[in-house]
Amino acid sequence: MAKNEKLDPVEYLDRFFDELRNEVRANPELASRLVKALGGSVVFDSGDADAVTNPFIVAAEQDKAHFYALYAPMKVSQIKRVLKENNLATAVDVRGKTANQLIDMLYDRASYKVSERRMKYS
Amino acid sequence: MTALITAIANLKGGVGKSTTTVMLADGLAYYFGLTVLVIDLDAQANSSQMLLTERGVQMASDQGKGAHHFLKQFVDREPPAAGPFIMPNAVTLEELRVAEEKDERLGWVAALPAHPQLRLNELSLEEDWYSNNGTPSTLAKALGDHMREALDPVLPLYDVVLLDCPPHLSPLARAGLSLANLFITPTIADAVSTWGTKQFSQWTVDNVSKDLAERNFVVVTRFRNSSYARQVQAELREIYLKDRAFGPTIPESIHVLKAMDRAAPDSYNTFKGKYGGVSGDVHRLAERFAEFAGARTGVSWPRMRS
Repeated sequence: MAKNEKLDPVEYLDRFFDELRNEVRANPELASRLVKALGGSVVFDSGDADAVTNPFIVAAEQDKAHFYALYAPMKVSQIKRVLKENNLATAVDVRGKTANQLIDMLYDRASYKVSERRMKYS
Repeated sequence: MTALITAIANLKGGVGKSTTTVMLADGLAYYFGLTVLVIDLDAQANSSQMLLTERGVQMASDQGKGAHHFLKQFVDREPPAAGPFIMPNAVTLEELRVAEEKDERLGWVAALPAHPQLRLNELSLEEDWYSNNGTPSTLAKALGDHMREALDPVLPLYDVVLLDCPPHLSPLARAGLSLANLFITPTIADAVSTWGTKQFSQWTVDNVSKDLAERNFVVVTRFRNSSYARQVQAELREIYLKDRAFGPTIPESIHVLKAMDRAAPDSYNTFKGKYGGVSGDVHRLAERFAEFAGARTGVSWPRMRS
């Protein structure tokens, strides 16, 4: 362990941040949580976003333009996976839909779910 | 023909009453082509949410549908009629929707949904009733008479009515129990659920149906396959409820949770898509209940699908 090594503080920090940097590169979910904790806005490669983003949180916290910017680069199969894995659509619901129709569905249903869970019954 | 009224009830909460109600409604509609009416008497409105979504429950309420509006009819001393409060379409299965679209109805689900307002309306009614020297029993009797008369004209439209009862003896739940031909008791294989199930069973024998054992179908739900759960289930079957018919044991499963979370009021799924790994359990639940109902009441429901 480092306690026996004689490194100056900057070298310790370099090692620490190197490890963190490596982990952030390999683990987009951790990257998302860290950037969010720091108050930033996460931008993903299209390959990572579907595995990491929670459409309910995006719909609740971001505007519609940000929502579309996040999901528009994804492939149709990825958007379908987001819809199904978040219980926002069934295989029947997504059949034959275009990417734009799927993103509309994702936004509408995620927003509705958030609003109905916030809703007060009257 | 008139509908077979079945109450799904247990004093213990969280034992899967609403989930069992929805699974059975889907299973009977899908495999036996039955027309099922789900009447949700629980102000938590869980089976209503599972069938209609939360938004659907509020939309129904806004349209004047639901058990709380039905209760107001009783409070306002209006003539008994259940029809206006029923949502005629609570189908979630694609196969049933498609068949209907082709004018070949092969099973259907309708709902008289609940709403959280139901409990407030019940409390208000109870306060008035008891302040005028009424008792819980006279209120349940009066509500039961109103409900019987209200349901009478609509019963020929359905094969089965499932009453999803709350985990306490609300006036409306007692009224519903008094109308039931059969009783389904979901329970969990643990000590507190066994205790609640025994209490409910004894209360029902004493107050509603002396021949409960003959008319009771017990379903162990949310089963986690451990030696403890197996031991408790064996006690239930062999000691406490050995005179009852048991349905299939429903496993604790993410498929069940997901199946009960409808994506949107206009979302449909195939039976296999909705129930995934528990499709076989839903199939067995419907099949075993159909056999039980046939043996106890003489109804005969031919299978429509394999």
